[in-house]
Amino acid sequence: MTFFNSGLFWFIEGVLTCLSVVGFKLWMDDRGVKLCWWKWALTVLWTGFTAFVIAFVGVNIGDGEPQAARLGALIFGVLAMVSGAVLWRLLNLNSNIGK
Amino acid sequence: MKKKPFDFNRRSFLKATGAASAALGGAGLGLFGVQSGRDPMSYSGAENLQGATQHFNRKKYQVDSPTYEKVGETSRIDARTEVIFGRMGRLRHWNEEKGLESLDPVTRKYYEVHPEDLELDLYLRKAIFPNRRKDNAEYGDEFILAEAWSHAMGAVWPQGYNTPPAESDFPHPRYGRQTPLELQDPGKTAKLIKKMAHEFGSTLVGICKLNPDWVYRHAMPGRGFDVEAPLEVPKHWEYAIAVGTPMEWDPFYANPNYGTSHDAYAKSRIVAFRLAAFIKELGYAARAHTPGTDYDLAVPPILIDAGLGEQGRHSVVITPELGSNFRPAIVTTNIPMAVDKPIDFGVQDFCKTCKICAEQCPSGAITTGDKEVIRGYKRYQLDISKCHNFWYSNLGNIGCRLCVAVCPYSRKSNWLHKTALQVTANDPTGLTHAGLTGLQKRFYPAPNAQDYYMPSLGGKNASYRKPPWWLRTRDFIKLKGGQS
Repeated sequence: MTFFNSGLFWFIEGVLTCLSVVGFKLWMDDRGVKLCWWKWALTVLWTGFTAFVIAFVGVNIGDGEPQAARLGALIFGVLAMVSGAVLWRLLNLNSNIGK
Repeated sequence: MKKKPFDFNRRSFLKATGAASAALGGAGLGLFGVQSGRDPMSYSGAENLQGATQHFNRKKYQVDSPTYEKVGETSRIDARTEVIFGRMGRLRHWNEEKGLESLDPVTRKYYEVHPEDLELDLYLRKAIFPNRRKDNAEYGDEFILAEAWSHAMGAVWPQGYNTPPAESDFPHPRYGRQTPLELQDPGKTAKLIKKMAHEFGSTLVGICKLNPDWVYRHAMPGRGFDVEAPLEVPKHWEYAIAVGTPMEWDPFYANPNYGTSHDAYAKSRIVAFRLAAFIKELGYAARAHTPGTDYDLAVPPILIDAGLGEQGRHSVVITPELGSNFRPAIVTTNIPMAVDKPIDFGVQDFCKTCKICAEQCPSGAITTGDKEVIRGYKRYQLDISKCHNFWYSNLGNIGCRLCVAVCPYSRKSNWLHKTALQVTANDPTGLTHAGLTGLQKRFYPAPNAQDYYMPSLGGKNASYRKPPWWLRTRDFIKLKGGQS
């Protein structure tokens, strides 16, 4: 067992996720952005998908499957970026930046 | 303002959530402690003997009838001719001038009915063996480490039986226990036997009643039977215990050249002989049927009956944990045990459309067509003569194992492939099967099937994946050529 498949790793991952959510919420509060339930749901979905892409690339590198890692990064990665950009606009996160 | 008795405001909600989270977190920590105390990985050096290797929840997928289909009158296998090793042994008497007349009547009759098999079986002797010797001298040095590793893995090989079941299967007449011990409960016995199988090194284990249809009609030579006399199924072969161990994953993906069957052959053989010895110590009868060719029965249907997996298009059984990457052995016995049920986790539907094994098979032994009726059971046909010829048509270790290496089910148990397995197993529509097969083909590419052949047969001596670092001969040995 290594650190990255230990219980400690997932504990730290959980703490980091909580801190990210709190930070994201404060960041939005500072800019006066309020999200309704379905926007939160979309955000969670997008985060889950992006996490999947990162883990997909990682597992295939580790598994000695470079083509799967490359294609995964290319296809799923582009999909994550495009959907991320759409979500950014949808949440109107850009409007108050710099205020 | 007077507070309402059930005023559950935001602050109260957060307080309640906090309290619940603390309770859940505390309980989680307790369970984490228990789990880490029991963790098979904490059994340093003996992690694989703890039974956690059989991690798939089979109960959910258990069915009353096995996933093969009985469609007519059944017949048993004649190992003298229908098993390639039996047939090739008899073909040793072939004389070019006398032709079929040089063979015994049983083999002659078989080849008269199956002339295509005679052509293929002779082609192995006449063309493939000489080509292999020639190619091996020129290109074989690449595989010195792989061959050395394979030989070493097969170096520990328990002695087989050379007496019939009436003698070999029972406790020693002088030193053994002559009266079987009284057992409390068949369920408990099954649990004990499975635990022992894991302790003896098995990754997978299942138990079923032995269907006599799976026992050979005529036995293989060297098993203590008169092979020319019909094999009567011994009465004490009531149950079959099926065990299996994987071939080492990294060389397995570097088939057909670098992988070997010997590692799992030897492991499963040792498990089965240990298990038979354990059962005999309790005073019951037991006989191990093991790799390489020491079987009195057909193994795949027994694996299905014992709930270990389903038979795939390539005729090999696919299990949820190891895909097809395993080598089985069977112990027939009369120790009373509770039996397992067969499972259906979607392999039949998946194999219908996937066909990767058939497309990748260099010899064309695996059909791309539908199932056929074989000895009264519906299954995919495998041309064993074509398959067997390819075992010697590539360099490196004897054998091929490509169909099992390229099978989408034969992936290591990481989260990605475990998730894909759950998706296919729980998709009654089959819609995800095509998607996952497409992903497998594009994301996990393979060489052209003909490239697997050795150079003199028009190939490039390709392997499915690169060999692991420890089998790359050039990185360790100063090669001078022709040393293989």
